[in-house]
Amino acid sequence: MNTDPILRIREYQRDRVNFVLENVDLAFANSLRRVMMADLPTVAIDLVEIEANTTVLPDEFIAHRLGMIPLVSTNCDVAMRYTRDCNCLENCAFCSIILSLHVTCNDSVTMDVTSHHLELQPHPDQGIEEAGEEQVKRVESFGSPIGKNEAGVDPILICKIRKGQELKLRCIAKKGIAKEHAKWSPCSAVAFEYDPHNKLRHTSYWFETDEKAEWPLGENAREEEPTREDEPFDFNAKPNKFYFDVETDGSLGAQEVVMKGIAELQKKLASLVWALRKVRSGENDMDMPSGGDQPSGDQATAASNGGWGSGSDSAGWGNPTSGGGGGSTGAWGGGASPSRSGGWGSNPGAGNPGIWSSSSPAAGGWGSPSAQANGWNV
Amino acid sequence: MNAPNRYELYVLDEGEAPVEVNEDTKIPNAATIKILKQDHTLGNMLRGQLLSMPQVLFAGYKVPHPLHPHFLLKIQTDGTSPPDVVLSEACNQLIGTLSSLESQFKREFSFKEVDGGAGAGGAAGGAFATSDDPYGTGTSTSGAGAWGNNRDDYLDF
Ligand SMILES: [Zn+2]
Repeated sequence: MNTDPILRIREYQRDRVNFVLENVDLAFANSLRRVMMADLPTVAIDLVEIEANTTVLPDEFIAHRLGMIPLVSTNCDVAMRYTRDCNCLENCAFCSIILSLHVTCNDSVTMDVTSHHLELQPHPDQGIEEAGEEQVKRVESFGSPIGKNEAGVDPILICKIRKGQELKLRCIAKKGIAKEHAKWSPCSAVAFEYDPHNKLRHTSYWFETDEKAEWPLGENAREEEPTREDEPFDFNAKPNKFYFDVETDGSLGAQEVVMKGIAELQKKLASLVWALRKVRSGENDMDMPSGGDQPSGDQATAASNGGWGSGSDSAGWGNPTSGGGGGSTGAWGGGASPSRSGGWGSNPGAGNPGIWSSSSPAAGGWGSPSAQANGWNV
Repeated sequence: MNAPNRYELYVLDEGEAPVEVNEDTKIPNAATIKILKQDHTLGNMLRGQLLSMPQVLFAGYKVPHPLHPHFLLKIQTDGTSPPDVVLSEACNQLIGTLSSLESQFKREFSFKEVDGGAGAGGAAGGAFATSDDPYGTGTSTSGAGAWGNNRDDYLDF
């Protein structure tokens, strides 16, 4: 299992990259997808002060639309602070970008108010404090709407105004991640596919008359051998080859998203290693319930709340190869626990009848007498 | 008005321990490890890696409630090393796999740039057809070096 992943980039453009990732497991590939979508910081408009709005759209409507406009966020992780980590009261040059917009229509034709009308303003605090290390790492256009001052780039429409109408406002853009609000996601879409021929039967296709005709194969199907007519179902097979297509909204480039995504995953893992080391050395045992004097009853009740997720909602996370479950009729069997509704989705002791299910926490609880009787190798 | 800040779902409170290890009293060499302010992204990946390790008899994870920002990871080992040590080992293996992947991405991206792949791709990208810095946004002052340099800061403990 410790073989290196295999990577092939099939197509690379500024704002999108299509690649094939092999020799990793589904959980790993899925974590990469999740981290790219939800854990990378960008800049987005967060607060809007509206001075004049005589357009047909209400203030909130416009504020929401402004939030969704991608702003240039290159190196945002180091070039800006989160306001919660900043020592200012509301916003400052370190943690905020100011944009202003003032458009009036004096023509008798309808006029478009677009992202190109947003003007980057120096923060009023700028210069009071000397520029910190964050500002030095910013690119020139940092915080401005993408494509502004670039030839041939269509602007993003905010609203339309007619003669005599006016829109005047001031925006404060902040750093954030998509777990707070999707506007901070650098990705507009991340396509993710595996097993294009459905050999693993992780899905089943609805059809009217002919499954093959109604579900034409996608591009990725060319990468893998089609199923032979007489091929028996291999229930031990696991997905191994993953097809990604990362498409960004332009706030970050595709390359930056992938590289920062990998770095973010490593950061999460490294902090866990660090924290575990601290626990081992007993540095923060003040609120650390030491194992051994904890009753296990609370754990048994916790089990009834819901099963241990098997992660992906496709089944088949069993690990029949490890075969270490004591070779018995023990608990934790994956067989009786459909991965969605609960039950430990993993199955080290393959083929156990599996009394562990969320419906019988008392009988099959962690460390319950029956679990021991059922062959935990004590 | 009194809603908690959204970032409390993924940022540790002041002084909050990121991990709690609870040794199991009834099962030998087993522990339930609570990892705070993390979700399926980390949980499922760790579970997958743990199951590939020969000394692990059992590994599973769950997010007990979608509104509670933590997950539980249950590990039983064969006794050669305790669960938290095995978990550290799994983390280190994953960091290694990611490093390998990262260097492959670096190499592949540099090949594609030499090919002019990124520049030629402007037709479909549209918005980014004019400049040719690797990140595709604006005029990068420090380019690839910017993240290359600070990348390892957090691994340096
Ligand atoms: Zn500030």
